[in-house]
Amino acid sequence: MLLEVRDLHVEFRTRDGVAKAVNGVDYGVDAGETLAVLGESGSGKSVTAQAIMGILDIPPGRITGGEVLFQGRDLLKLKEEERRKVRGAEMAMIFQDALSSLNPVLPVGDQLGEMFVVHRGMSRKDARAKAVELMERVRIPAAKERVKDYPHQFSGGMRQRIMIAMALALEPALIIADEPTTALDVTVQAQVMDLLAELQREYNMGLILITHDLGVVADVADRIAVMYAGRIVESAPVHDIYKVPAHPYTKGLLESIPRLDQKGEELYAIKGLPPNLMHIPPGCAFHPRCPMAQDVCRTDEPPLYEVNGEEPARRSACHFWRECMNG
Amino acid sequence: MGRYVVRRLLQMIPVFIGATLLIFLMVNVMGDPIAGLCGERQCDPATAAQLKKEFGLDKPVWQQYLTYMGNVFTGDFGTAFNGQKVTELMSTAFPVTIRLTIVAILFEIVIGITLGVVTGLRRGRPVDTSVLLFTLVVISVPTFVTGLLLQLLLGVEWGWIKPSVSTDATFGELIVPGLVLASVSLAYVTRLTRTSIAENRRSDYVRTAIAKGLPRQRVIVRHLLRNSLISVVTFIGTDIGALMGGAIVTERIFNIHGVGYQLYQGILRQNTQTVVGFVTVLVLVFLVANLLVDLLYAVLDPRIRYA
Repeated sequence: MLLEVRDLHVEFRTRDGVAKAVNGVDYGVDAGETLAVLGESGSGKSVTAQAIMGILDIPPGRITGGEVLFQGRDLLKLKEEERRKVRGAEMAMIFQDALSSLNPVLPVGDQLGEMFVVHRGMSRKDARAKAVELMERVRIPAAKERVKDYPHQFSGGMRQRIMIAMALALEPALIIADEPTTALDVTVQAQVMDLLAELQREYNMGLILITHDLGVVADVADRIAVMYAGRIVESAPVHDIYKVPAHPYTKGLLESIPRLDQKGEELYAIKGLPPNLMHIPPGCAFHPRCPMAQDVCRTDEPPLYEVNGEEPARRSACHFWRECMNG
Repeated sequence: MGRYVVRRLLQMIPVFIGATLLIFLMVNVMGDPIAGLCGERQCDPATAAQLKKEFGLDKPVWQQYLTYMGNVFTGDFGTAFNGQKVTELMSTAFPVTIRLTIVAILFEIVIGITLGVVTGLRRGRPVDTSVLLFTLVVISVPTFVTGLLLQLLLGVEWGWIKPSVSTDATFGELIVPGLVLASVSLAYVTRLTRTSIAENRRSDYVRTAIAKGLPRQRVIVRHLLRNSLISVVTFIGTDIGALMGGAIVTERIFNIHGVGYQLYQGILRQNTQTVVGFVTVLVLVFLVANLLVDLLYAVLDPRIRYA
């Protein structure tokens, strides 16, 4: 495994109390593999990613337990200076909104080149040439002229390409993309996603794709991990999950995708709201919203059950995964 | 850009005329300038009339203004009643005040921004709270109190500095007066920088910079500070104009013969030509400083384009 997250716990200590954002997440990704992490806002998918990258705001955030094994070593045990050298060089992150995530007052070429100046000790001139190369790599037209432009002078799709170029700069082994296409037009979304998938194949990188868009996932992901209230509730190869979900929450998510053959009908929605992270319900966190909930769900927290014994592994955190899969 | 500058320069003309006319009228309302010339006793009516004629004070105000402005544009700011040319007064006063302003601005930049960055990064911690409290005190206490207090302590009690500045007014002598002059603005610069830093620290591009694996110092200086200073630079720029003209109290306390001192003397002695002349130049300085700030703004923030 390239990256393995084990039993990760993250809390945020605020004036109003402790918000438990991540409560024992396990997932892993191999070189060349794409793991999609799916979940509503507040499910802990971004916080997990930030903990892996080491860019959590500490305080108020705090990692209270677990391991992040990357190429065999536990990143959480590294000193900050060693950790910094991993960031950007060996694992990189692509953020959602490229306009606000790029520095508005620096030319994009400087921001790209900075990676080479800081991590590789290159001269500014060589770094500039590298920046042009990268921009061409992500197919930005007239890269040579545009390298001196500022982020606001690019279109949304081009800006996201620059973000991708920045993440790719030092050919990291792992890329974490946090909703990389959410802020883009639908037509551009596909282009950016295709580019990302293509580059991933080319460099054989591991990719963690954080999203709440089920449409994006189906095309590019190998595995899916569904998160709810800071836990993984289901994890499975992508085709299995679309065929037969093994968790009522996943089922609800899939049913709430609008479909063309249901024109005129009311859209399905999972009733209720995601739980307040300061007061996560006891037992299974999803039970207040679950159509299949029984008494045991209110008291006993379900473990991650092995749904099928063989590889590739499939897991579900539902006491009634069998019933879920059968109907 | 070029067209923008031209337009701004053209806009300055009405502002300049309005401001000078206003000050001209105000000085005229102050009272009879001749009365002050004869000291304590009443002027002899014949002498007064003759003096009035000599200085053109018998003509209507608008005519006086036109004559004056006509002269100003040929570089003649008139003669003070003691016979000294106003331009001569300026050539001694302005260099002194410019030096004082430089010292004050340096204090604002170095101390103000440093404190702002330190507190902005440690919001809510003891350092932050104490500095914040201190700036509040500095802002609330009038300059003449801080000035006199420092003069008394450093100059008279402990003898670290000379309580009054010599006519040379070297940079060394101007350190303490410069600090006094800067104090209130310095407190504002600190608060402005602090707010700006604290706000931008949580911004997405700073998170990106950290995610890129940049060293902390580079994240702060190149990404965080650069963005946070835009508003601060604007404040400091406009402050240049204010400091040049607003040094009256500080220059009085430390006996610095700069612009503030000359203005004070001019008003006290009802010396129309001096007051109007100095204020005219200050209006110009203020206008130019503002234009430069606006242009600098576009340099610092490429999203701003002037057309």
